[in-house]
Amino acid sequence: MKEKDAYIEYEPQQLIMYVEKEDGTFGPIQTGSFISKNYLDDFWEKMLKLRKSLLEQLKNNEITCVYFYKIIHDFNDVELARRAGIPIYKVKKHQKVKSFKNIKLLDLQKYAYAFDVPVSNLFQAVVVDDNENRAETELEKQPIIVKQIKTDNPNLVITKIEVNKK
Amino acid sequence: MIIESFNHKMAAHCESGTLTALIKHKGLEIKEPMIFGLGSGMYFGYLSRTPNLSFPMFILRTKPGKLRKKIAKRTDIKFITQKFKDQEKAEQELDRLIGEDIPVACQVDFYYMDYIPQWERVHANIHFITIIGKEGDEYIVSDSYYPKLARIHKDKLRKARFAGGYLAPKGFMYYIESVPESIDYKQLIPVAIKNTINNMIGVQPPFIGVRGIRTFAKKLQGWPKLTRDVDHLSHEVMKINVFLEDQGTGGGGFRFLYATFLRQASEILNNKELDEMSKKMMEIGDGWRNISYFAAKIGKNRDLESDRLQELGQLINERAEAEDKFYNELKTVVNNI
Repeated sequence: MKEKDAYIEYEPQQLIMYVEKEDGTFGPIQTGSFISKNYLDDFWEKMLKLRKSLLEQLKNNEITCVYFYKIIHDFNDVELARRAGIPIYKVKKHQKVKSFKNIKLLDLQKYAYAFDVPVSNLFQAVVVDDNENRAETELEKQPIIVKQIKTDNPNLVITKIEVNKK
Repeated sequence: MIIESFNHKMAAHCESGTLTALIKHKGLEIKEPMIFGLGSGMYFGYLSRTPNLSFPMFILRTKPGKLRKKIAKRTDIKFITQKFKDQEKAEQELDRLIGEDIPVACQVDFYYMDYIPQWERVHANIHFITIIGKEGDEYIVSDSYYPKLARIHKDKLRKARFAGGYLAPKGFMYYIESVPESIDYKQLIPVAIKNTINNMIGVQPPFIGVRGIRTFAKKLQGWPKLTRDVDHLSHEVMKINVFLEDQGTGGGGFRFLYATFLRQASEILNNKELDEMSKKMMEIGDGWRNISYFAAKIGKNRDLESDRLQELGQLINERAEAEDKFYNELKTVVNNI
């Protein structure tokens, strides 16, 4: 790859690319990500669509929160079982609406750990309409900031909603 | 505290970048392509039936950790490696080492590296970072994929070091005890190249090496049956671009990095034929880059009918042909060294 063809201006995601330099030598340059610069909007659009579709199914009680987060995190049953430390037969069971109602608190805590969310988020969706279409690069422009602060109680999280003063 | 003498630099790949930085810090001058080449990092594998994967994927480098093991075996660089069951002990040992001014490489789940943009972060237990200091509850991190030194909260790092799942890090960390004054490149380069040739065109299962590239081209045609909808298929096809360019390859699926290694090798061995091979590898990399552009374009346009996937498969098959020819030529060159 020629050096002149490798430069992409995209500050949020930098990477190292090895190229043939102007003087014929081979070496590294720091440049931006091609796919993020050109296609990030498409990525967010797909993710948002997926989230909305899954949330709709969750609202209609067609899927469980375990299935919801499993898809969001791109885990399969084996990987989720390993990460949560829950036997795979239980993981399969917990994705069925009928069986989910018998789930134990300890298993919920394990899922919450694997999904990196507070336990309470397995039962609620925090949605701020105006924030939804904003990529992380626009975080500072968001009018509302939602913060979730852990407590010593593993089952309690403080959800704080603040106006962005920036 | 922070190890001031550690020089943070971005690198093409996290494992070779981390190794290079630690070896340099210990006083041995070496470049990332040489580490990648000497460790025979180049590989190809199409994984369709791994139980932990929610979708087939292809890999472009050897198994995580193998690069370091090969370097340790082939040179006199002495690594100290540790794994832990107890998270507390893992943290204490890390603190002790950085307290003694020893930078430590840790294996982590990439998802928890919260200084990296959100869209980049996926669950992958194969990321390597170097911890070079601690201030309060935060560790100072040198990450090959981040332009400057970063900070990570100790709870996040703990979670990243002890994430479960496939290739779980189990607190794995390593540091360098000693490096030799010099490396016998003239002896090691042919050995390392022969190993790579074997990985790519030697007797391997059909999903590995050049045969693996062909398997990828063929199996790709079945992806629509494995996806939920066209958006999902688009996402998976566009990930081809991410795997080839963005996830720490140095571009063209490590081919540009390997071409640079061959160029360095040709200079060390004063071998013009190797230099020619380096140019050919650079061209092969350009072909892979075209594939990544093509995949991104058809994914974005949802232009994913079977004829378009066949076109993509054809481009991949062309790479297989080119690499088959390349490694056979390289075999002749290296056998004459």
